[in-house]
Amino acid sequence: MWIFPKENLMPLTFWITESESKYFLLQRRRSGPFMGTWDSVFNTKSAPFRILHQAPSSEVYHEIAIGLTHDEILKDWNWISSVLIKDLNEMESDDDVTTFTLCKIESMVAHQKHGISEETEDSENFKVVAADFQKIFNMLPEEKLVNYYACTYIKGKIPRQGRLYISLNHVCFYAYILGIKTQLYIRFSEIVNLEKNIQTIYITTTDKKIYNFTLIHLNEAFSLIDELSKIAMQKLMQNPDTPILDEESSVFLKINSNGSKKPTLFRDLDVRQKSESYKMLFRLPQKEIVDGKIKAHLWTPYNKKFVSGNIFLSTNFMCFGSDVANLVSLVIPLGSIQSAEKKDDGPNRLDNQIMISTKENLPFLFSQISDRNALTAKISELCGRLVNPDSRERARHDISWCKETALMKNFKTGLTVEMLKKQNENMRKWNKHFMEFGKGISMFRTTDVINLITEGVPEDLRQEVWMIFSGAIHEKEMNPGLYEDLVEKSATKKSLTPIHDEIERDLHRSLPEHPAYQHSDGIDALRRVLQAYALRNEQVGYCQAMNIVTSVFLIFCDEENAFWLLARLCENLLPDYYNDKIVGAQIDQGVLNEFIHTFMPEIHSHLESLGIIKMISLSWFLTIFISVIPYESTLHIIDCFFYDGAKVIFMVALQILDWNRDKLLKCRDDGEAMSLLQAYLTGISNPDYQISEHQRSSSPSHKIRSQYVGTLINEAYTNYGPQISTQRIEELRNKHRRLTMRQFDIDNENSIIKNHSDNMYFSDEELRLILQLIREDKTRPQKLQQKSHEMAGESPFIVTPRRSEDGLIRDPYNKYENYKVDYDTFKMLFTELTHWGAAKNLDLSEKLFRLTDKQCTNVLDFTQIINAIGIIRSNKYPEKLKLLYILHLPPLLNKREIEQLKKQTPKRKDEAEEAFEAEDFFCEDDPTETVEALPSPTDHNFEEDLPSSFKNMILTKDNRDSSKMTPSSVNSTDLDGRTSTFYIDLPDLSKQKRCESIDTISDFSDLGAALGKNGAKQNLETCSNFSQISDLNYMRRNSSSTLDTRSLGSLRSILDQTDMQQKVVPDMKRANFDVLWQSLVDICGGVQDHEMKEAYLNLVQLGESHTTFKREDSSESFTKIVMGGNGYFLQADKSKTPVMGDINQFDLVAQIEKGLAKELQELEEKNRSSSSSSAKSKNNSSSSPEKGEGWRISINQYLATVLTVQCFVNKFVEPVNIKENIRKMQKNRRKCIASNY
Amino acid sequence: MATRKKSLLKVIILGDSSVGKTSLMNQYVNKRFSTQYKATIGADFLTKEVVVDDRVVTMQIWDTAGQERFQSLGVAFYRGADCCVLVYDVTAPNSFKNLDSWRDEFLIQAGPRDPEHFPFVVLGNKVDLENRQVSTRRAQQWAQSKNDIPYYETSAKEGRNVEQAFQTIAKNALAQEAEVELYNEFPDKIRVQSDGNRNGNSDNCQC
Repeated sequence: MWIFPKENLMPLTFWITESESKYFLLQRRRSGPFMGTWDSVFNTKSAPFRILHQAPSSEVYHEIAIGLTHDEILKDWNWISSVLIKDLNEMESDDDVTTFTLCKIESMVAHQKHGISEETEDSENFKVVAADFQKIFNMLPEEKLVNYYACTYIKGKIPRQGRLYISLNHVCFYAYILGIKTQLYIRFSEIVNLEKNIQTIYITTTDKKIYNFTLIHLNEAFSLIDELSKIAMQKLMQNPDTPILDEESSVFLKINSNGSKKPTLFRDLDVRQKSESYKMLFRLPQKEIVDGKIKAHLWTPYNKKFVSGNIFLSTNFMCFGSDVANLVSLVIPLGSIQSAEKKDDGPNRLDNQIMISTKENLPFLFSQISDRNALTAKISELCGRLVNPDSRERARHDISWCKETALMKNFKTGLTVEMLKKQNENMRKWNKHFMEFGKGISMFRTTDVINLITEGVPEDLRQEVWMIFSGAIHEKEMNPGLYEDLVEKSATKKSLTPIHDEIERDLHRSLPEHPAYQHSDGIDALRRVLQAYALRNEQVGYCQAMNIVTSVFLIFCDEENAFWLLARLCENLLPDYYNDKIVGAQIDQGVLNEFIHTFMPEIHSHLESLGIIKMISLSWFLTIFISVIPYESTLHIIDCFFYDGAKVIFMVALQILDWNRDKLLKCRDDGEAMSLLQAYLTGISNPDYQISEHQRSSSPSHKIRSQYVGTLINEAYTNYGPQISTQRIEELRNKHRRLTMRQFDIDNENSIIKNHSDNMYFSDEELRLILQLIREDKTRPQKLQQKSHEMAGESPFIVTPRRSEDGLIRDPYNKYENYKVDYDTFKMLFTELTHWGAAKNLDLSEKLFRLTDKQCTNVLDFTQIINAIGIIRSNKYPEKLKLLYILHLPPLLNKREIEQLKKQTPKRKDEAEEAFEAEDFFCEDDPTETVEALPSPTDHNFEEDLPSSFKNMILTKDNRDSSKMTPSSVNSTDLDGRTSTFYIDLPDLSKQKRCESIDTISDFSDLGAALGKNGAKQNLETCSNFSQISDLNYMRRNSSSTLDTRSLGSLRSILDQTDMQQKVVPDMKRANFDVLWQSLVDICGGVQDHEMKEAYLNLVQLGESHTTFKREDSSESFTKIVMGGNGYFLQADKSKTPVMGDINQFDLVAQIEKGLAKELQELEEKNRSSSSSSAKSKNNSSSSPEKGEGWRISINQYLATVLTVQCFVNKFVEPVNIKENIRKMQKNRRKCIASNY
Repeated sequence: MATRKKSLLKVIILGDSSVGKTSLMNQYVNKRFSTQYKATIGADFLTKEVVVDDRVVTMQIWDTAGQERFQSLGVAFYRGADCCVLVYDVTAPNSFKNLDSWRDEFLIQAGPRDPEHFPFVVLGNKVDLENRQVSTRRAQQWAQSKNDIPYYETSAKEGRNVEQAFQTIAKNALAQEAEVELYNEFPDKIRVQSDGNRNGNSDNCQC
C-alpha cells in the first residue's frame, strides 16, 4: 500500500532489510521482546513491512509504502523494480530521482484513494492496528475494530502498559513488556457491570472478575464500551442465539462524514449514539438519523426574546433545543417547510438570520447562525431528499383527519355540571396557550405546556396532545395506510392462531367498567388494533396489559391513532416491556429499585426483604397504573406520561411509596404490604372526571378516597422531577439491562441444576461450571459468525415466535434450549474435560456424540451431555471400558472408517491431521456415495440426504417393557426417556421395517445404498445380528416378522444396562479391536509397556480361538440373547471361554437361530428379486471374506484382560477433576490462547 | 415446635389465562361474581379468615397472571407458598394440558422442601358452561397420577364447589405445615416427574 512519502523517523535498527536495489529498500520489522515492549510502551503502530527510498548520495530515507503482509509489499516492490526503476535509471541526478519518486508515489496514493469512496476508508495507521488486533486475538475478519487506546491495565499490583482494543463484540487488551505478554479478552455480552471514576474504567464480567483500565481518553472509551455493550444486550434480547454484531447490521448508520479523522466504525457509532439522544429529546421516529447541529438563537414570539440553543437537522426533521434544558424546544417536519430564507432587513440585519416558514404559514426566526449559507443549503438538500410516503391521502399536518371516531363520542362520559365547568375552563386555558405558543407539531414546547398538562388535559384535546407529545403522529404520517393494510391482513388470516385466541380472551377484560366495552363497537375496535399490532411487531405479538392500555387510548383517539400510540408505547416509550420475556419491565424494576435505594434508603431494605418491589412494579409499569388505580385517575397520569415518558412512572411510583413510607415499615409480610398499597391505589381519585356512576356496575362502595390524582402528580413532579432525568433513566437502564440478562442466565442455570441435582456424576457446582462453559462457547464469536452466515438467508426482522403449534405453553424443558450443544461444542467439552481426547487415531467425541444423539437432531441436550461426559469422568471403570468398547463397534466404527484409519496411520502423529480426521471420513467419499456414509455430525445435511426410513432404522425400536426390564443406570425416575441418555422413545412399529441380518461384513453403507435405491419398503440387511431383550419381547409378541438390526439404537440400549451379567454386547472384529486398542493406549499415555503388549497378544490369541468355530449359515454372527431377571438366558455363541461370571447356555438358542436364519433367507430372496443391485453388493461382500474374518473378541474377554493391566486400571479408576479443567480453560480463554476454545 | 405453627396460609392460584382464577378467588372471598374483571397483570391479592379444624387462620390468596410470558415472573410470588391451586377451564383442553407445565414450573421456582408431597389442588372451572371439552375422568386420572392431587369441578359463576375446594386447600396447606415440621431435615431437592402424562393425554384426548 502506497503512503504519502515521509521522512523516516524510526531507527533503522528496528528493521531487517530483505531486498535492496539502487534506490530502494524492502524491510521487515524485527520482532522480539524488545520491539514488543517498545510498541507497547510508546503505543507505536507499525506495519510489519515497508519500502524505503533513499538516494545513494543522500542521508535521508523516505518511507513510501507499507504492507501488512509480505505479498502485499512484494506487489509494490515488484512494481518499483519493473516500472519505476526504468524511468529512474534514465535520470541524471539523485535529486531528480528523489523528486520524481516522491511525486510518482504521491500520485499513486491519490489514485489509490480515488478508487475507494472516502467515507469508508480508514487511515493506514488504523488499518495496521486493526490487522494487528486480528492477529493477536485470532479474530475473524468480520470482527471489525472500532477504536483503540493506549491504556494501562492493572493486573494484581503490576500495571501493564499496552493497548486497549474495542471491536464490535469485544474489549481486548494487549501488552508486551520485556517478553511478558499480557492478553485479555472480554465479550460485550458478558459484561455485567461497567463503572468509571476519574481515570479508570472498571469492567465486571459474568465470572465476577473485575478488570480495570486506566487511560487518557477515558470518557470516549467508556461511552464506546457502554454503547456497544448496550447494543450487544439488545441483540441478545432480540435473538439469544446470535448475539453478535456485524458491520452490515442495521444499527450502524451511514451518513456523510465531515472529514473527521476518527475510524469509520467509531464515527458511525458516535452518530448512532447522538441520534439516539436526539430522537429521545424530540420524540422522533426510530429511523431518524441526525445529520448535524449548529448553534443558533430562536425568536420566541410569546416572550419576544431570542433563546440560544442548537438547531438539529435530520432526515425528516429540523429541531431546535434551547441550551437551558426544557426552556423551549421546537420540532418542524421538513416536509412542512415552505421556504427558508436569509433575512437581511430589520433591526437585526447583521445577525445572520434565517426565516423558516411552514405550510401553515408559521414563521420561525433563527439568528446568530455562524454559517447560514451552509444551513440553508443543507435544508434544501434534505428537503430535496425527502421521500413522500405514497398513497398519502391528505398531506395536512393537523390531526383533524379522523377515520373513525374516538369511543367517547358515542359513549359519553357522564360528567357532572361542575366537572363540565372545570373542563371548559381548562379548555379555555389550553386555547389561550395555543394562541400564544402555536398549535400542532410545531408549537413552541415550553415548561408552560407541562404545567398545563399536570392540571389535566380536556378530553377533547387528549387525542391531539397524546399524539403530538408521544411522537406517534410522526410514525403515522410516515406510514399512511399501513394501519388499514394490517387490519385487512390480519382479518384474512385464519382466525384461530394462538395470538388471536389470546387477544380474543382478553377483549372483555380490558376496561370492562367503561360502557364502550360493554358494546361491540368498543370490542371490535380493540380487536382490530391489537391484531394489527401483533402483525406489525411479531417479536411482541400480543402481551397481556397491551389490551388494557389500548382500551384507554381508544376511548379518546380514533382507531388508527390508538394503534400508533400503542406502537410508540411498545417500541419507544416502554422499550421491550411487552416482549416474550417482559424484559423491559424487569429492567425497569431494577431501575426503580435503585431509585428507591437512592431516595428512600430507610425503607429500601425493608421493601427488599418483603420482596415487594418485584410484585408491585409489574402491574404499575405494564399498564401505566391503569390496572391498579381507578381509570379516571390514571388518565391524568397518562397525560403526563406521553409528555415525559417513563420518567413519570418512576416519579409516581416513588411518590406513592413515599406517602406510604411509615405504614410500609410496619408491614410484616408481603401480603400486608400488598393490601396496603392496593387499598391506597384504588383510593386515588379524580374529582374532575368520572364515568357516570350508574354505568359502572362494579363500583366498590367501600372505596376510601386516599388522595387526589392531581396532588399525586404535583407532588411527584415537585419531589422527584428535578432528580430523575430521562438521561439518568437511560444510564440506569443500560446497567440493569446487563444485570437482568445476567439474572436470566442465572435463573436458567439454577433451574437446570435443580433438575439435574440427582444425576450420578456431577456435583451442583460442577454442573454450573459446565453450563457456563457451554454458554460461553455458544457465544464464541467464531461460532456465532458461522451461525449468522447460516441464517443469512432469513430476514433478521422476522423472528418467528418460539411457540409450539397448538399454542401450548412451552414445556419447562424448552428453556434449556440455550444449553443444547452441537458437535463442535461437544467435542470441545469432550477433549477439554476428559482425557479421552488423547485418543489420537480416532475421534472418540464424534462416536460418542452419535451414540448419544438419539434422535439424530445434531444437537445434544444437557441431560445427554452430562450423562455422556459423566461416565467418562466418573471412576466407574467397568462402565468406562465398556463404553469405550461400544464406541469401537460398528456401525459407529465401520469398515470404511477403519480403512481410512489404516491409510492415515503413517501420518498419525501429525497433530494437524487429527483435526480433520472426522471430516475426512465423510468428505473424501465420492459425492454419489454420500447416502452410504454413516451420518456424522460433521455432515450437516445428512438428514436431508437420507431416506426417512433410514433414520428410523438408526433409532432403536424400543418399548415400555424393555425400559422396565433394563433398569436404566442413568436415571430411573423418568420413564419417558427424557433423562435417560441412551434411550429413545420411538415406538414406531407400524413402519414394518423388516431387517434382515445376514452378513457380518456388509456394513452400513450397503444398508444405506439398498435403502436409497429401493425406498422405505425395502427390507434391510445389516451386518451382525444380535438381539436385545426388548426386541426379543417384541418378536415374541409379533410372531417375529421383524428382526433386530445392529443399529446405533441397540448400541445405546446396551449401554443403559448396568448389570454386567445382563448385557448382550456384540463381539468385536479384529480391525475394530486394533483401533480400540490404540485408543486405549493413547488414553493411557500413548506408550505401551510390557504388560500392555502382553495383554494385547493375549487378546489376539483369544480372538483367534473363535476362528476354529465354524458357523453353519449365512448369519454367521452369533446371536446372544439374554433374558434379564428370570434366568432365561440364551447364548448362540457356543464358543467356550467363560469369562466374568458364569453364563447359562441353552440349546434353545440353536432353534431360534435356525428360525431366524430361515426367515432371513426368505427375506433375502425377496430382496434379491426386488433389487438386484443390493443383492449384488451383499453377495460381493459375503463372498469375499477378509483375512481374519472369523476373529472376534467378546466384551467380557476384553474387560477381563484389560483389567489385569495395572496401567489401564489406574487410568480408568481415577475420576477426572472437572473443576480444575474448567478453571484452566477459562483462564486460557481470557488470554485467548486456547486452541480449541 | 407445635407452637411455631403460623396462622397464615399462603395460597397461589395458577393456570392459563382466562380460566377463571380471579373469579374463583373473588367468589370465595367476596361471594360475588362479576364479568367485569380486568386481565390480571402481575398479581392480585385477597385475604380471608377461615376456620380449619377449629383453628382460625388467615388465608392469603395470590392470583397470578396467566399468559405464558408471565410464567417465569411468578417466582416473586411463590416464596413461602403453603398450597398451590391449579386451575383449568373445562371448555378449553389446552388449559388442561398446560397444568403439567404450571405444576413443574411451580415446583422448580418455589423449590418446596418436599416436592413429592407439596399440596396441590386441581380445579376444573366453568362447569356451568355447556360446551365442556375435558372429561371428569380424564382430569381425575391426571390428578391421581400426580400423587393423588385432590380434584374439584367448580363454577365460579354459580359458586358451585368453590367453598369446598378452598376448605380442602386450607386443610392441606395446614397439614403441609405440620409435616414440614416433622421432616425438617428433608433434602432440598427437586425431582420433576413428567412421566405418564403423555400417555394419559393421548388416550383420552377428545379434541
